[in-house]
Parts: sequence; structure tokens; C-alpha cells
Amino acid sequence: MNSYMWFSLFSFAICLVSCLYHFIRLIRLGKPQDFSAPLGEVGPAVMYAYTKAMDPRKKESAFLHLPTYTAGILYHLGTFLSLFLFVLFLFKTEPLGIPRWFIIGFLLLSGMSGFAIFLKRIIKKELKALSNPDDFISNILVTSVQLMTAISLYNPRFFPWYFILVSLFFLYLPLGKLKHTVYFFAARYHLGFFYGWRGVWPPK
Amino acid sequence: MEKLTKEKIQQGLEVLNGSADGKLITHLNSCVHCGLCAESCVYYLADPQAKYIPAAKVDIVSSIYRRYHTLAGKLAPGLVGARTLDERTIEEMVDLLFGACTMCGRCVPHCSIGVDISYVIKKGREMLAKTGYVPKTLQTTINAALETGNNMGISDQEFTDTLKWLEEDLQFEVNDNSATIPLNERGREILYTLNPREPKFFPLSISAMAKVFWAAKESWTLSTQMYDVTNYAYYSGNFDEAAVITRRLYDEMHHLEAKSCILAECGHGSRAFRWEGPNYIKNSFPFEVSTSVELMAKYIREGKIQVDPNKITELVTLHDPCNLARTGGIWKEQRYILNNSVQNFVEMTPKGIDNLCCGGGGGQLAMSEYNDRRMKIGELKAEQIRKTGAKIVATPCHNCVDQLSQLNITYKLGVQIKTLAEIVADALVIE
Repeated sequence: MNSYMWFSLFSFAICLVSCLYHFIRLIRLGKPQDFSAPLGEVGPAVMYAYTKAMDPRKKESAFLHLPTYTAGILYHLGTFLSLFLFVLFLFKTEPLGIPRWFIIGFLLLSGMSGFAIFLKRIIKKELKALSNPDDFISNILVTSVQLMTAISLYNPRFFPWYFILVSLFFLYLPLGKLKHTVYFFAARYHLGFFYGWRGVWPPK
Repeated sequence: MEKLTKEKIQQGLEVLNGSADGKLITHLNSCVHCGLCAESCVYYLADPQAKYIPAAKVDIVSSIYRRYHTLAGKLAPGLVGARTLDERTIEEMVDLLFGACTMCGRCVPHCSIGVDISYVIKKGREMLAKTGYVPKTLQTTINAALETGNNMGISDQEFTDTLKWLEEDLQFEVNDNSATIPLNERGREILYTLNPREPKFFPLSISAMAKVFWAAKESWTLSTQMYDVTNYAYYSGNFDEAAVITRRLYDEMHHLEAKSCILAECGHGSRAFRWEGPNYIKNSFPFEVSTSVELMAKYIREGKIQVDPNKITELVTLHDPCNLARTGGIWKEQRYILNNSVQNFVEMTPKGIDNLCCGGGGGQLAMSEYNDRRMKIGELKAEQIRKTGAKIVATPCHNCVDQLSQLNITYKLGVQIKTLAEIVADALVIE
């Protein structure tokens, strides 16, 4: 491995340790304590929270904003794909042939989705008012990683820049809203617990 | 605005110390500012301003958390939009968290991530309570409850006098001189509670429920010492005061040795006692707690009362109180009651756990300084009602009754607003 790869591995380790810290802290804090008598069951409600409650047909944040929702889905898929490829790259493995072109195409699409979301945040007055520098930086980093992954797969000359960029991404992740990588799962759990305890979820 | 001292700041910040609260730190760390919650909020729908987006209300609380409890917030607050808790922030918090949110929770299931937005709002109100910034209008209502035992400050004499003539009325209506509205009877199956608005403004809803109890031959009683189902400290965020109010009803249950506590038609009241109350006093209740809605549905289902839907022929619609349906799990029972008690029932859209807040929750009815906003967001509910073509709006919540009554006048809806007890009482078959 060259020095860029080592640095990215080091950054990844810091990111992983930080995320684990947040995750373990949440696990140790445990389930909410509720002295009231439950009306429903928490287990099925938590399962519902992770699955059917995310159905875009049920959420106004999705079906009232289909283009943004679709861009967001593509963007997240692109992020997961990029992270998977990072691990492959560390092992000096790359996709070849048709899958390589497919992945490049997909990452360009997901990167453009991220860019569209970025533009929306600048152009839409209310969204801009809601935003702080972290919102923009997070988007720039994630979008850049996806696009740079695609570019590096197309032309391996760009791999050093890729590893620098991905290192910045890993070092930044624990600092700002990108931490929702960990907290999203906890939020869904707590939501399931709350609605399950009160017999609201799953719907009767 | 009173001066914000260092001590008060510290007390406020203590609320956000999530070192022992996984739920709190989860929700304070989850919002990604996507803004897609906007259209789920009645305040935003009525007046599309950035500050009314639920995420903005969450952010004013989480920005303070970031400032004092995160690395980035401490080292580079501008980077993550971290805010200092100062007078300017407090002023904004009061306006947004008390004046621009009913804590209806409609935004919560629609949030992309699953942030419990109303929980964060509640925490923000708790901070304001600790720092001494609860709106005076709201605190006055709470003080009345603390000092007199009910939030309307009704004296014992006024209360018992009202119940006496209601009892006479009931005996005449059902042609039974043994029909009673029992007071302070020990060892009954049910201790029933009331919203103080009932003896003050809507006494017929008391006699309606008394008629239902009479028809069901129920063993029940009211208490003159503690009958108030409401707990406005749930709204203010002062959970010490909320615990005091909870404890009174809890103690009265023990004093009168009732088997179960039936909560009158009141959204926040049923939530505050049944769901929040045990957590206020850090003690499970050794008695059953249920709502009058569930009880009436049970009576009909078990044949304890007979209702004739042909007695009410007008088109009836239903407003679901947020704290009963969306966060209390009770939305099938009121439909069961109406489908059995009225000839023509039509649903609003959206309905059930997705219903639009009427605007009367969150303590808004007590906070007159926000009346204009309350009536403006209520226009959405008025439009929902208008679209149904209904002549009667049924709702199992007296705060909602009050708000809907005002909307009825302001927006010239020309409807009657009724509680479920009144509907059932009107539909009763008396042999």
C-alpha cells in the first residue's frame, strides 16, 4: 500500500472508532424506561419502524417530494457503494468489465443526485435558512467521494486524489451531521419503542 | 423578559445533558436538515415560513446541545450552527416552541430519519421552564390547578352545586329518581375524571356521561377533591409541577379505593395521566387507567348499553385528538362508537393517526398571545370539516371542542360540536 492508502486506512480507523464510541454509548444507555402500562408490543413496532414505516407511500417526506426522495435514495446507495469500493481498493481489487462501467455510471448518477440536492439547498430559500456550513460541507464531501470514485475507476491516475478525498470524508464524518450514519438506526428504534408501547405501531 | 442569570442558564442546559438518556442524544443527533417535514406541519401549511418547519424547531434545541456537548460545537460552533444559550436564543425558543408548535407529533412518522420532533420540542419547553420562561398565560392556568385543584379555579361549592342540578336533570331525563351522580363514594369500580371546562362551560357533557353510566348500571363516582383530568404542566415542561398534579389523582384513587380510573374526553389529559404520569412520579400505577372512549366502546360491544343509530340522522364527522389517536393508540374505538351510534358517518381526510391538529393543543388555548396563529392554523381544520359536508363534528377532547367551537364561529362552518358522550347519550335506547 502506498502512503495515500495508509492515510485513508488510518482515517477510516478513526472514523470507525468514533462511530463505535457513539454506538456503544447508545447501547449502554439501553432501552427507554417507561413506568406506564403498555397498550401494545415493542418488538413488532420496532420491526415495523425499520421496514414498512419507511414505505414511501406512507411518508409525506417521500410521496410529496418524489424527485428529492428519489435523489436521496440514489445518493445513499451511491454512498454505500463507494464505501464498499473503498474496502476493495484497499485490497487492491477493482471491478472489471461490464460491472466496472455499470458502477461508474451509477456513481455518476448518484453523484449528480447529490449535486442536485446541494443546489436545492442553495436555491430554495427556506432550506437555505435551515442550513449551516456543516450541511453544505457534508454534501460536498459525500458527492465528491462518489464522483471521484467513478473518475478513478475510469482513470486510475486519479487514485491519489481519491484517497486524499476519502480520508477527508472519514475524518469529517464523526464531527457533523454525517453522524446520522449511526443515529438513524437508534432513532428508528426509539420511534418503534414509543409507538409500540402505546399501541400505535404496527397499525391495527 | 426577565434577566437570564448564569444559574438559570445552567439549569436549562442540564436538561440537555444526555449522559443518561439515549433517546435524547439520539434525537438531538439525528436531524439532517432535509426540510421534508415542512408539509406535515399545520403551522408551516398555514404560513409557509422557514421558522415553522419542524426541523427548524428541532434545530433551535439541538443547536444548543451541539454548542455545549459536541466537539465540533465547542471548537467551531459556526461550522455546525451551534448556538449559545442566551437571551436572544431564549426569546426565539419561546416564540417557536410555545408559540409555533402544538406538539401534535404529526411530523414525527413523516420524518425521513425518524426524529421524535415533538419529544425534542418538549425538551426545549422543559429548558424554558427551568430557566423561568414559561408564558405567563400558560403558567396562570397551571397555578390555578396547583392552588385550587382544577385549572379553572372552580370552587368546591360551585362544583357540587353544578353536579346537584345536573343530577336532578338526569333523574328527570331518564325518569328514575334513583339515578345519581355519585360523589366521593369509596370502593367503586370507576373513579371518573372531568375536564374543568365541563362544569364551567359544558355541563351537559357531564350529564351525558352520567346518563351513559346509568344506562350501563355502572359502579362509579366522581371526586370533589380531585376530578381534573387535565395537566397543563405537561404543556409547560415543568415536570415537577406535572408530578404534583399527577400525584393528586393518584392519591385520590387510593383514597377512594376505586378499581380503575376513567379519563374524560381530553387528549392531553389522557396522555398526561396515562402515559406521562407514571414517569412523572417514577412509579407504575397499581390500578387500571383507561379513557371514556374505550369504556363506551366496550359498553356497546358487550351490550351493556343499547344505541340506536337512527336517532342521529345528521351527517357526522370525527376529529381525532392528536394525543388520543396519534400518540395514545386510540382511534378505532371512536369509529366503532360512531358507526353504531349515528346513521351517517363520514371521515375527514387525512384521518386517524394522520389527522391534522385542530390547533388547540400544546397549551395554545391558554396562551392568548398566540391567538392569531392558533386561528390561522385552525383554518386547515375548518377546511377539512367543510369538505366533509358534515353537520356535526364529534371529538373526544374538550380542548378540541373549545378550539373547534371557535373555528366554527370564525370560519362560519355552521356545525354542531359534540363529544362522544353526548353522541352516545343522544343515541341511547332507554327501556
